[in-house]
Amino acid sequence: MRKAIMLLALAGIGVMLIYAVGEMPPMGDSGNPDKTHVAPRYLEHGEEEAGASNVVTAVILNYRGYDTMGEVAVIFCALCAVVAVLGREKTGLSRTHMDVSRVKASVVVRTTVRFLVPVIIFFAIYIILHGEETPGGGFQGGAIIGASIILFTLAFGLPESTRKIPLKSRVPLESFAVIAFLAAGFTGILFGANFLTYIMPGLSEHAAETIRQVMMMVIEIGIGFAGGIIFTSIMFAMIREDKYELQPDSS
Amino acid sequence: MNFSRIAHNLNYVFSVVLFLLGLYTIAVKPNLVKKIMGLNIMETSVFLFMVSIGMVGSGNAPVVTEGVKPATMVNPIPQALILTGIVVAVSTTAVALSLCIRIHEHYDSLNAFEILGRDELF
Repeated sequence: MRKAIMLLALAGIGVMLIYAVGEMPPMGDSGNPDKTHVAPRYLEHGEEEAGASNVVTAVILNYRGYDTMGEVAVIFCALCAVVAVLGREKTGLSRTHMDVSRVKASVVVRTTVRFLVPVIIFFAIYIILHGEETPGGGFQGGAIIGASIILFTLAFGLPESTRKIPLKSRVPLESFAVIAFLAAGFTGILFGANFLTYIMPGLSEHAAETIRQVMMMVIEIGIGFAGGIIFTSIMFAMIREDKYELQPDSS
Repeated sequence: MNFSRIAHNLNYVFSVVLFLLGLYTIAVKPNLVKKIMGLNIMETSVFLFMVSIGMVGSGNAPVVTEGVKPATMVNPIPQALILTGIVVAVSTTAVALSLCIRIHEHYDSLNAFEILGRDELF
């Protein structure tokens, strides 16, 4: 009954949406409405105005910097919510059901992971630092860092992983993206410009350009590493299971 | 209906299909994790739709390089917006899944009907 009603409703919604698709402008046409307003200006002046030849990075870090600041705050809030609901892991003591199972990851898997993880993290650093010139950027690199640590945890188990990246070294990094953004924003105010202004008035063109590059780099690195660490923390909080937790040695 | 236009806008059609699939999953499946999967499928449909809007036929990536005219570059704004969207989707999924873990510990079930203690919602 529920399924029948739902299918009927979905059929109605589907017909309306497909009809609307028929009224949309043809896909891929360079004269479509989305390409006639602000996009040409971003594409033509993005490099000189925002200082990044990758226009997507220019949009993220400059034209729509407030958007990105909110986005960074959103993942930080998500981490706060997950930690509030699930709690933090205990370094070296928290375990998952995989850690107590008798079947361990084989030597082949562990050796492969040991060789791969540094390469993956190296690639992630490249993605983060090259986000201004090639496709990539902070969030993408952060996702790759998080994925490499998840891979390590799956092969070596949670206690080993939490000993390698302990809680006390992760906590300052988690809020690094928000702090980097606020620092960059307030630097603009200190120099007498608006919040999140990268070009400072009253400086020589060369100095202003250097400051802008440095600030964008700081924000990208902040987003990248904080994003990766936040994904790691969320994963650690999710996969640990209270009933398998080890007791700390009393000695 | 403009059928030739629909056949040309295939990406939009697929995003409609994905949207309906996700909506069906959310509404019909009683398992909470499957509901979250449905939500993610719906989000993906919106991402596909918006990125497709910015497409340019045989265009280039929006990276300023020698010899590439801005007119042939794809629209960077949907891509930047969707990057934000993906991050928000990941965040909401993480929070929803952590709530699911707590719900499973408390009720020993992820079935919405078992949690509510009745067979049908209506």
